[in-house]
Amino acid sequence: MKKNEPNWLMVLRTVMPLGLSYIPIGLACGVLLHAAGFNHLLTALISVLVFSGGAQFLIASMLTINAPMTTIILMMFFLELRYALLGSSLSRYLKGQKLPFIFFFAFSMNDENYAVNYLKFATDKHWKPSQAILVEHYSLLFWTVSNIVGSLIGSALTINLSVVDFALTALFIYMAIMQTKSRLTILVCALSGVLTIFFLVLMKSTLGLVVATLLASLTGYFIERHLITHKPESHLLYKVHDPTGQSAMEEDSDK
Amino acid sequence: MQSVSSMSSLDHFWLVIFCAIVAFIPRFFPLLFFTKRKIPEWFNEWMRFVPVSLFTALVVKSVFIDSKYQIMTSGNLGMIISAIIVGFIAFRTRSMTLSVVIGLVSVMIFVLVLHI
Repeated sequence: MKKNEPNWLMVLRTVMPLGLSYIPIGLACGVLLHAAGFNHLLTALISVLVFSGGAQFLIASMLTINAPMTTIILMMFFLELRYALLGSSLSRYLKGQKLPFIFFFAFSMNDENYAVNYLKFATDKHWKPSQAILVEHYSLLFWTVSNIVGSLIGSALTINLSVVDFALTALFIYMAIMQTKSRLTILVCALSGVLTIFFLVLMKSTLGLVVATLLASLTGYFIERHLITHKPESHLLYKVHDPTGQSAMEEDSDK
Repeated sequence: MQSVSSMSSLDHFWLVIFCAIVAFIPRFFPLLFFTKRKIPEWFNEWMRFVPVSLFTALVVKSVFIDSKYQIMTSGNLGMIISAIIVGFIAFRTRSMTLSVVIGLVSVMIFVLVLHI
């Protein structure tokens, strides 16, 4: 890390990969919202207020099939429930913050900037809540501007959604790999994957994501607790080899 | 403005407001609750497994599940291969930028050029 780098620039550098992947996705989202009948102002408003790629894609596609408003709002509710988990797992890093901070932090939190912040909090003991909220605001800026530009370009742009969407998938793969510290985590990942498929197909809603995440994380917790008390030398607790040796250093500096 | 939806801009405005409210509730209240109270240690230990489970779930959803919540049986081979490549790149380099860029390039080649 460079010394004497101003805070805003350092945070911007942290958020840059996310910001850049937001550009094609935000453009695509703006195009879709425009096609669904949203004007530019409303597209800007929804990007700031809802700030969730998945949710905005859902709203756009529901509007094009003329779904009633209550149905859309109900689906939104189930789609957004997973944020309860995000907030809960970040809470220990945000202890002692004032109510307005919590309000604005929650307001602009989404999957992607949560992922960036969780990783920073978990690996960098100098990472501060004020920097975390700056990450959110940078990503919000990238997202909103891309949405507005997409809305202005409108149908002049043809976009392959599954390709664009893969930017976020790649981001989450990266995050999952970075979070994999022990062999037990690999087991939890595999379990989470299987449960996700099962519950998504069963429940036909993104609520399946919430159930799968809850069950997989609980299982991981109980296995870890059991192993630590009964079999502390278990292979499952071994650390995963890191070819760059980077996370080992971070672990040390964490103490 | 050509509109395919039967809703007016005012309807859209209220839709955005209501969606913002339902999006805000699950983001705000758990965070408020757990930052204001003493968190038991078991809760923290459990929450350590949440991010990795959630990220895996999101990846599996976008690679294997289609928009109608059915298992994709064709057309996602390119994404599966790209996902493996990204996983390898992420593991070897630990670079977020490289993972995203190489992932996008590989999915473009597989899906747009090779059509798999």
